[in-house]
Amino acid sequence: MLKYLIWPLLAVGLVLLPHGLSFSQQEILVFLTINVLLVSTYRLLTLTGEWSLGHVVIMGVGAYASALYTKEFGVWVPVSMLLGGVTAALLAVLLSFPLFRMKGFYFLIGSFAAGEIIRLLWKRFRDPFGGPKGIKGIDPMPDFSIGIYDFDFFEPVSYYYFAGVVVVVCLWILWRIEKSPVGLTFHAVHWQDKLAEASGVNLRAYRTLAFAIASGFAGVGGALMAHYVGTINPNSFDVEVMVFVLTWAIVGGTGTFYGPILGCVALTVLNEIVLRELGFEQMRPLIYGAILILSILFMPKGLESVVQRLIQPRDKKSDADREALS
Amino acid sequence: MLSKIIGSGLTRRTFLKSTAATALSAGLPGAALAAGETIKIGFLAPLTGPVAAWGKPGLDGCQIWAERVNAAGGIKLESGSHMVEFIGYDNEYDPAKARTGATKLIREDGVSFIMMLGGDTWPGVQPVADKTGMLFSTLLPSDLSPDTTTLIAPAEVHPIYNVTGVEWLAENKPELKTAVMCAQDDALGLPSVATYLAAFEAAGITMNEEPLLFDPATTDFAPVVTRLLSSSPDIVCLDTCYSDYVHPICEQLFQQGYEGQIISCTADFYDQIIAKTSKEFMEGFVFQFPDFDDPALNSDQINFEDPNGFFAEYNKRHPGEWGAVSWEYASIMDLWKAAAEKAGSADPEAVIAAMKEGGTGEHAFGDARWWGTELFGIDNALVGDWPVVVIENGKATIKGFKNIPDWYDKHGDLLVKHMKAYDQMWDQRG
Repeated sequence: MLKYLIWPLLAVGLVLLPHGLSFSQQEILVFLTINVLLVSTYRLLTLTGEWSLGHVVIMGVGAYASALYTKEFGVWVPVSMLLGGVTAALLAVLLSFPLFRMKGFYFLIGSFAAGEIIRLLWKRFRDPFGGPKGIKGIDPMPDFSIGIYDFDFFEPVSYYYFAGVVVVVCLWILWRIEKSPVGLTFHAVHWQDKLAEASGVNLRAYRTLAFAIASGFAGVGGALMAHYVGTINPNSFDVEVMVFVLTWAIVGGTGTFYGPILGCVALTVLNEIVLRELGFEQMRPLIYGAILILSILFMPKGLESVVQRLIQPRDKKSDADREALS
Repeated sequence: MLSKIIGSGLTRRTFLKSTAATALSAGLPGAALAAGETIKIGFLAPLTGPVAAWGKPGLDGCQIWAERVNAAGGIKLESGSHMVEFIGYDNEYDPAKARTGATKLIREDGVSFIMMLGGDTWPGVQPVADKTGMLFSTLLPSDLSPDTTTLIAPAEVHPIYNVTGVEWLAENKPELKTAVMCAQDDALGLPSVATYLAAFEAAGITMNEEPLLFDPATTDFAPVVTRLLSSSPDIVCLDTCYSDYVHPICEQLFQQGYEGQIISCTADFYDQIIAKTSKEFMEGFVFQFPDFDDPALNSDQINFEDPNGFFAEYNKRHPGEWGAVSWEYASIMDLWKAAAEKAGSADPEAVIAAMKEGGTGEHAFGDARWWGTELFGIDNALVGDWPVVVIENGKATIKGFKNIPDWYDKHGDLLVKHMKAYDQMWDQRG
């Protein structure tokens, strides 16, 4: 019964959540929602065994593309967000040609270099990218009403609902992909690449597919951010932000779909709310780093392993009950 | 209906009213302060990360300022005397976090005024400023535009004051005829490059080559310095480099045997540079930010109260941390306090009206005027005299004060020309 109730309860909880938060926490919630999408797309990429250092830049590609589509061509913001995602995916396909000539550590470094090249292009070409100062005055999502609720996208609650719906849809698609034969092939490409290749699987094509899908959805995340904050610059997508994404994924664990999301939520709440509220404003990097080291030492399989430990005994008990009944 | 409650078409007034209705009315902009209530001032700047050197020392300076003001009876408004308290928010020089911080400071903490470093973070905050009408200050006037009616730049007109250093150099060392320049390719570096180019041109100093723009991620400055020195310049200009660049560049200049003139916007923690190079090497280094124990700051024209005492207290609490911004935010507070007391209110609209009344204001370095329409599209920058500082015998020494508007009246066309060439005029930015 609980299995069927959990999703509606979660949905109600997510709808009510912002109303229990302060204004600044609502703002953080918006960025958290977007980051949940970012880290989930990153996990999809890691399914094929490749870890990238350019994922945040790819998110930036979606942000820049969407901002420019609205500013230069007057494209309607929701459409430009989708186009931003498509642009990021197409660029990923283009990048896959040189990048997937590499594997493992070399791919990691190659992806970093590719990301830095893109960032340098944003800095170098003031027209249209705005140079180091980036693009500002990006069109916000246009306000609208659905009768019972007026969406005013300056307000974080409205944007949270909008971004939340987009992110939930994206996560559902990512989930379906992972559970589909394509997703299983991604796993095979990672864990049994020789066997998969012997079975006729085109490893490079599947790696490219994972890279493109992950990049496309990350691009949508970037577009969501750009149209909320109203400004983007190359520093918004630098390697420091990428380190945060890696940290979320590592602390949360990448074995399950929810692992990186757990990491993202836990660490964001810790860094942006708990430590600030406790008055450790200027000591946050130090404490954050210490917690990161401790979590890796004592939870090498990530936060998801804690959840699994909590769930497992109940499953075993249920099995035992079932056996007793039979 | 929920939609009615949430409200459509949020305006500044409805925003403030609705916010007040959420039991957070204390200290809201526009809301009258209760007698004896503490005035809260927001400090929204990078307190951690690579740009923290231009945020945290400012907050430290403000704490000293607050203690002095509170000890003297606080800020006197129509509602009585009010103590003052600073509430900091670390925006990590990130526009998204700056937006969150601005929201927190206004809607939760009820601040009456917010001071920022500005730069990359201002565009994230601007929508919040537009909606709320909150009065903000920036250290970077390049944030100003005709749309930023509640943003003021009352402490420093970066990078325009850099012309004073070049002007002094041309007057006092006329034998220096050629220069080279390097700068990080970012929002701070580029307008400063345009300004130095205009100042050198006005002073008859020739640039040996185009300014060398390096990526802000640069950590190895040996090739940068080698290239700078390849044309044997009389002057090496370090533009508005962050201290993380000024230090290694000076080290490289020292190691590569440079013995000529150096000019820079800042020389934060210059004692550390001297320790890494030598007192002789740093002798004659020209920059723009004085130590406040300088006797020249005791002259009658200076409006910053007890600069020597402030410097001594700052160094007692934060030894070795005095930098360009240590006094600047505090000097903005001097201006804000005077305006609030004149208006009798902490309401942002009343304060800015009182502040700009008559078109003049009391800048830390002397009386100044509200200025900037040509360069920034709005007269929200307070401009007057600025000191030229030279390192002599290992100590920063004010060599004189130069008037920025006077220079601009003579050479403004050059500045506009170079600003346009670097896309730094207000109508060219983003």
